Amino acid sequence: MVDLIKKNAKSLQESLFSSVGSAVLTIATTYLVINFFRGMLGFALTSDKDWLAVLNNMQLYMVQAYPEEDFIRVWLSVGLTFVLAGLSIGIWRSDDRVKSSQVFNSFFKGGLGVLFFTIIAPTNASFMGNDGSVITEEVFSMDTRLGILIPVAVFCVIFFSIRFINVKFTVNSSDMVFFYLFIPVALLWFVKLPTIQLDQNNERIIPDPVMPIADTTKIPWTVIFVSFLVSYFIGMYLKSIKSIKSIMSLSWFLLPLLIFSWIFKKPQIDMSVVLGSDLPIFGVFLLWGFLVITFVNNSIFKKYYSTYLGVTFLLTLVGVFSGLPMLAKTCLLLIALFSVVVPAVSTSSQGKRSLLIVWAVALVTLTFLLRGGASDTGIVVPGSSIFGGFSLTWLLAIFGTYVSFPLGVLLALGRNSKLPIIRIVCTGIIELTRSVPYITWLFFASVTLAVFLPAGVEFNLIVRVLMVTAFFSGAYFAENIRGGLQSIPKGQYEAADAIGMSPFQKISLIIMPQALRAVIPTLVSSAITAFKDSSLVTIIGLFDFLTIGKTVIGNQSIPVNFVGHDRENLIFVAIVYWIFTFTLSRRSMKVEKKLGLGER
Amino acid sequence: MSIIQTKDVKKWFGDFQALKGITMDVAEGEVLVVCGPSGSGKSTFIRCINRLEQHQEGQIIVDGIELTNDLKNIEAIRSEVGMVFQSFNLFPHLTVMQNITLAQIWVRKKNRAESEEKAMELLERVGIPEQAQKFPGQLSGGQQQRVAIARALAMEPKIMLFDEPTSALDPEMIKEVLDVMKELAKSGMTMIVVTHEMGFAKEVADRVMLFDEGMLVEENTPEEFFNNPKSDRTKLFLSQIL
Repeated sequence: MVDLIKKNAKSLQESLFSSVGSAVLTIATTYLVINFFRGMLGFALTSDKDWLAVLNNMQLYMVQAYPEEDFIRVWLSVGLTFVLAGLSIGIWRSDDRVKSSQVFNSFFKGGLGVLFFTIIAPTNASFMGNDGSVITEEVFSMDTRLGILIPVAVFCVIFFSIRFINVKFTVNSSDMVFFYLFIPVALLWFVKLPTIQLDQNNERIIPDPVMPIADTTKIPWTVIFVSFLVSYFIGMYLKSIKSIKSIMSLSWFLLPLLIFSWIFKKPQIDMSVVLGSDLPIFGVFLLWGFLVITFVNNSIFKKYYSTYLGVTFLLTLVGVFSGLPMLAKTCLLLIALFSVVVPAVSTSSQGKRSLLIVWAVALVTLTFLLRGGASDTGIVVPGSSIFGGFSLTWLLAIFGTYVSFPLGVLLALGRNSKLPIIRIVCTGIIELTRSVPYITWLFFASVTLAVFLPAGVEFNLIVRVLMVTAFFSGAYFAENIRGGLQSIPKGQYEAADAIGMSPFQKISLIIMPQALRAVIPTLVSSAITAFKDSSLVTIIGLFDFLTIGKTVIGNQSIPVNFVGHDRENLIFVAIVYWIFTFTLSRRSMKVEKKLGLGER
Repeated sequence: MSIIQTKDVKKWFGDFQALKGITMDVAEGEVLVVCGPSGSGKSTFIRCINRLEQHQEGQIIVDGIELTNDLKNIEAIRSEVGMVFQSFNLFPHLTVMQNITLAQIWVRKKNRAESEEKAMELLERVGIPEQAQKFPGQLSGGQQQRVAIARALAMEPKIMLFDEPTSALDPEMIKEVLDVMKELAKSGMTMIVVTHEMGFAKEVADRVMLFDEGMLVEENTPEEFFNNPKSDRTKLFLSQIL
């Protein structure tokens, strides 16, 4: 132990005080850092902070005005995500091992986190009483604080130093995930938080400042945790199925669509529409796809295939700007794209059969999701949107990426196209969208977009925002991807040509994978920017996550006066944004590392 | 019967005329070595044969199909003609195995197991079966070039084109690539090889051609070409490189 301290002291001395110059630099920098962060430190150390403004409004933060009687839908959404995560970990990660030193290291860091939050947790909570006077209650006594601080600090020291002792074993990495999830779920049952509720007469009351967490929170989380565990074991069992990984990837893609169109939305289904419009459209397109697949190798059809493609794309273009039902428009787009792929895949009867199955499944899924998405919602909320707070931010982030990324790929390819019309149109779209501020586009979406759409076509405000967001971030994605395309040497195109690949195969199998890999860092930073920029929707009257913290809670005076608690709210909002963007950038670094394998 | 026929092929890059009327033919199973100083149009010429470059005048007929702008014809010819490049041009994001099976699966529409079997067979033929699961970046230049040959052979081409296959290699690695090419030549493959390896030409070529300034200067059997050249340009060329 003494050796250890000596060793550390020596390395500290070497790195910080190796010469007079570096000693001066060390001292000066420390002084500057302390001075610079004094305000922050002061805030962290005083008891004058009111996290109740955050804790009490968690529901508002997450789903804004989503009615409580339909909360099961929110929990179902979260639960499904965790089930899918459990399955994925079981399938992909159940064999991953973590070294003991990494385990100790993560315990050490976790301990530091607990220390930090124990230190900054407020001692007192202030409420405005019924008569207007301020009542201060002690919610986190010094004894409790020390009771947590001292043991955790001891553990931290132990875990920090144990890394130097030669203990070597490995732990299953998924066990670590369960452990880290188990702690907060278990804490829900034991920790008591100060909460404020109204009495029956809707007068302000201050209940016992230390309340156990409500069953409505801890029971769903416990159920979610258990289903997460169960799905992990199911995932380990399913691992041997051949195509399970592609099915899982597809499920991850479809899950947000399912959540937002059916689970979260509670669509009111009008059976007459389903039978009168959805089913016929479904039938027509199923037959269309079936015919294309059957006759694709017919010599006459083959001869005029490019004409057929042209006509289909023209029909799609006309269809999109006509009064057709949404389902028909999307199906047109789908059959046009599908027709491009068909000749490349359907040369064998086996290929044809699987294409037919893919087509049928895609149509069923599309019809199902669009019926939910296009129906009226059964959720009654004040204001225009059932999405608010975190659910809105999440919706904008996910759907922004869903639409803008493929759009970006298409625009980038279009800008590199040899056909002048396509090149000019794509360049025009990119340059036009990029050169106008995002806020202008948002106003355009909320005020003027309706004027530009054909008569009879009307979209909900959120859909309009998604449309402009898709084009806006799509333009940025396109320019990033174009940079990647330029980094591909000419030899790669020639090699693909020389082995007889079609242009479509060349782009999708050889060029795009390499181009995208080259620009992962810039793509991720674009995605992060898009995620954060979603908070700008506040300007057209949507209540995103930040707006809830800054404006809604900042002006809240019932049941408790939270006016003037911007500080706590903004810190909370910043932390949540940070957690997501940081996770994203970390994940992308891992992907980069994995994909970089071939370069070495 | 000739498998490649060209008639008066001309090509310009802007104002510069790279090919000034090349007329030649290659019989099935023949090994043809093309040499000449750099900038003489020899690479351009063999790149025209599978349409990586487009000729502006003249006729190129490969395996009975004339090369025109018809995309279907071009793809048909390309899948019959294998090409090996000076800079290998392997796909760096795919493993060696995937590099070789890709075209079989997507262009020849074979199933995976069948094409992997074929790929292993070819890797064994070029002598590096143990590298199948590595990425191209992890191999030496000579190994990469052999993978490139295996990749081209996986399409079961009737003709193989080699565009200076050993020029980017260390002297020690040249031999391992040439050995593979010699073995290929002996197996009866039709080959057009652009190279400066005169030893290779002497040993396996059926015919040697010399290009200079976009023209076909001399066309001869290797014995005649090296011992008794017809033109002065050939004598000069040989005196400089031998």
